[in-house]
Amino acid sequence: MSAATDEVLSITGEGDIVAVRRAVREAAHGVGFGVTDTTRIVTAASELARNVCKYAGQGTVHLRRVERDGRGGLQLEFEDHGPGIPDVALALEQGYSTSGGLGLGLPGAKRLMDETDIRSDVGCGVTVSVTKWLGS
Amino acid sequence: MSATSITIVKVRDVLMVTMPPDPDDATISALQENALQGMELHQARRLILDITAVDTVDSFFARTVSETAQMVALMGGRTIIAGMRPAVAITATQLGLSLRQVETALSVERALDMAEAEGRREARR
Repeated sequence: MSAATDEVLSITGEGDIVAVRRAVREAAHGVGFGVTDTTRIVTAASELARNVCKYAGQGTVHLRRVERDGRGGLQLEFEDHGPGIPDVALALEQGYSTSGGLGLGLPGAKRLMDETDIRSDVGCGVTVSVTKWLGS
Repeated sequence: MSATSITIVKVRDVLMVTMPPDPDDATISALQENALQGMELHQARRLILDITAVDTVDSFFARTVSETAQMVALMGGRTIIAGMRPAVAITATQLGLSLRQVETALSVERALDMAEAEGRREARR
């Protein structure tokens, strides 16, 4: 898989979620996704950006155009240096939330995307990487 | 009017709340208070939430809408969500969102028909 960092956005508060959604929408269009997949990707990005704000206060998102076996895709990597996720499997269960939310953010984002990779280091932060492939 | 502001208009006894295409969290939070105050101020019986322009509904938006509908119900009103786009409906379902206690309509026009028909039924009682 070849990857080049196309864009990095910082997330410093809830006000930045709109900017993330806009940038992701544009990137998804650029890769060639249709309206339904674009909506899926943007919605997943919205959930993950909100998680960064809610749990870590701030972080970044890297938008990358990726390619594998001749297929294009878009990868979003959210990184924060917050408290981390003690139990990733539990956090991926629908309805589980430590913040009083619906508990749909992480499991929902996973369902909307093709690939999800979560690296959590308690006390050091979380990196959530999600990828959507064209024609999947 | 900014690109992210909510429009509230009263049409007969219906309060029509129109959401901007990409509302930020502050705008979504303001929806709740503005809608409830509008219901009281205009003595409206129904609230139509027009999301025709909205291109992303995430869990935060959906939760706020559900809560608002519950609050409107406590005030004796009903909420109809109108105009959800196909891509938004597909995504919302995959995400796991359910707007169970909320009535929905394909368009604002259909929502107004529903509200009017209900109003006539109430008048006959």
